[in-house]
Amino acid sequence: MAISRRQLIAGGGALGAGTLLGACGTSAADPHTITIWNNLPDAHQVAYFRRHFAEGYRRSGGRLPVRFTNKPSNTIDRLIQTSLAAGSGPSVIVTPGPSSFVSAYDSAGYLVDLTEYAQRYGWRRKFAAWALAASEVDGRLVTLPTSYETMVFYTNPATLDRLGLEAPGTREEFEHFCAEAKGRGLVPVAAGNADYKGANEWHVGVGLNHAAGPEAVHAALRGETRWTDPVFVDAVEQLASYFKKGWFGGSVDRYLTNGFPAVYRQLANGRAAAMISGSWEFSNLAQYFGKSAGNDADWAWHTVPSLRRGVPTQVWDLAIGQSAGVNTRAGNVAATVDYLDFLTTDKPAIVAGVERVAFEPPPIRITASDFSEAADPRVVRLYAGLSAARSIGYTTWTFFPPTTETYMIDYFENVITGRMSAHEYCAGIQSRFAAERAQGRVPTAPRPDGGLS
Amino acid sequence: MKLPLRDRRVSGWLFMLPLVVVNAGVVLVPCLFSIWYSFTDWTGISSRARFVGLKNYANLLDDPEFAGGLVHNVLWTAFFLVVPMAMGLFGAYVLTRIRRFRLLFRTLYFIPYIVASVVNASIWRSILDPDTGIGDLLHINPLGNPDLALWSVEFVNNWAWWGFLVVVFLAAMQGVNPTLYEAAAVDGAGALRQFFSVTLPGIRPTFAFLGLMTVIWSFLAFDYVYILTQGGPAGSTDLLSTVLYRDAFSNLQSGYACAMGVVMALISSVVVTAYLIVRTARKWEI
Repeated sequence: MAISRRQLIAGGGALGAGTLLGACGTSAADPHTITIWNNLPDAHQVAYFRRHFAEGYRRSGGRLPVRFTNKPSNTIDRLIQTSLAAGSGPSVIVTPGPSSFVSAYDSAGYLVDLTEYAQRYGWRRKFAAWALAASEVDGRLVTLPTSYETMVFYTNPATLDRLGLEAPGTREEFEHFCAEAKGRGLVPVAAGNADYKGANEWHVGVGLNHAAGPEAVHAALRGETRWTDPVFVDAVEQLASYFKKGWFGGSVDRYLTNGFPAVYRQLANGRAAAMISGSWEFSNLAQYFGKSAGNDADWAWHTVPSLRRGVPTQVWDLAIGQSAGVNTRAGNVAATVDYLDFLTTDKPAIVAGVERVAFEPPPIRITASDFSEAADPRVVRLYAGLSAARSIGYTTWTFFPPTTETYMIDYFENVITGRMSAHEYCAGIQSRFAAERAQGRVPTAPRPDGGLS
Repeated sequence: MKLPLRDRRVSGWLFMLPLVVVNAGVVLVPCLFSIWYSFTDWTGISSRARFVGLKNYANLLDDPEFAGGLVHNVLWTAFFLVVPMAMGLFGAYVLTRIRRFRLLFRTLYFIPYIVASVVNASIWRSILDPDTGIGDLLHINPLGNPDLALWSVEFVNNWAWWGFLVVVFLAAMQGVNPTLYEAAAVDGAGALRQFFSVTLPGIRPTFAFLGLMTVIWSFLAFDYVYILTQGGPAGSTDLLSTVLYRDAFSNLQSGYACAMGVVMALISSVVVTAYLIVRTARKWEI
């Protein structure tokens, strides 16, 4: 049979289109299984999560089996975005906090409105109000916070003893602490962003909340003041001056090339006097301190010092480390919501995870009395302190809109390398923030003096 | 049995069909979609995309990150057109002059090229480390210094790349008629003169082709920058590809990123077209 060129092209086109449509077709999620992708950093946590939070759901009477897959931290967001755009994705959609991607996922129609479930499951009672408020978009609850965290000031008590220093509480004490440590040949604050550029925003957040102060940040988040106001420009300038003096990471160029293992080692071996990072480091530090690291080093944490007179000495920078929503294409939405409730509110399972593998808990009401005697007292003290917090600060990955957050990460290096002034940096924040605020993309921020209730 | 000409043509097309289908599916169709999305405000997540005309292209003109990435790409291209090409030519020419260990050297030069870029980059990150590597010895921190970072990344990428050029140039040089060297030697030409008067003209099509591919690949460079510096410090190693990646996946401005991609493709197209014109005029076979 002779095939004409036209027939050949038509046949090829049909085959190509068929292949393409097959590849792009919507694969309806399995109604008999709940799927979740997570990004846990070590094998112990992966095994623990699988046993207690995936298989554990079924054992505790859950409606459907849960299929859990762990993905690399640096690609999980891309994988979720791509799968959602292709009409698929896991039943539970996780994001790195309510700031990143949640409003975009919501406006694309990928997130189930959880507002009605809040009533049914009593979430308003179980969760801290600030965390649920930050999880709303246009007044609708679209995600639940699965972990929360705060910024803290880490020290190695043996190093401080050797230096004759104490953890600082005020600006003067902090600057004396850094000058003294630097003068003695130590890195005052171990820091680095080579493994994760997002580390920049941890420090910017500390500068804003502890130098400008939470009241000022709250007012700007509500659009009542501008990010170019002197209080913010001065705070960024002050923070940048600390970097330029080599107080963070040893020098600006070292900060830009230090990886996390080097940072942890510096704190453990006494080459650094302190480290400013989040409470998520509790699990990471275990590998570098004590028996498991083959040394007798120890670590302690303190609240981040006030960096300006008038700013409270104890400000707890609040952050939702991870949010989770329900995929509108999930085969069984009701069962997935039920699983999400288990994941975030089963207090015994959650507290056990915190104690055993240093999981960060969801912002449900956890107090010291919820922990067993075997719990690490540093962990117990953290959550006791958080539950009693009176003054709170605002992390960029929880309370700032996404484009503004990305800008704050990307351009902070320009400030500390002298390629951009603090005022120009703040002007960049302001222009992006104003545009996103007009689009309704700024998460709701609680009052700074309202505590965590 | 000999098939009629028409049947032979059809059977030829049939053999090509799987390739055509795969190419259409994974290259042509995404390209067409990218062009369409470059005229929209697509976020990359939603299926909705609003037509915005030439707005994305107009915004590129005003974007300092795009301009910075373009400048870095031009510097990157210039570096790779000069340094590895010169090293590749020199290495290949030296190898044509030796008989023993030629295969060994060729293999050694080629090994970095077949090692995954993430492995190469991680090794060099350790070597350049200011605390434990040569950075400590020389008291420099190449990847942390905005004035040195781009050159440092280029150096690392070149380390993996130039051995490939050696092997390709060597293959081309071995195709040059040896009697030309004998004639040149009889006329009193030394090694350098033979290189410029016999070797280079003899491998000109290969040289031009690799130059062309260098330009194209330079505008696609991504992996070494992303692994070593992620575009930093302070954007000093940002290439168009890293800016595009950030806009598409962090800022969720995929329509804008598509416009950037189309411009990158246009730049490569201009180079390819220029090459094809020269190739046709000079009747090169490669």
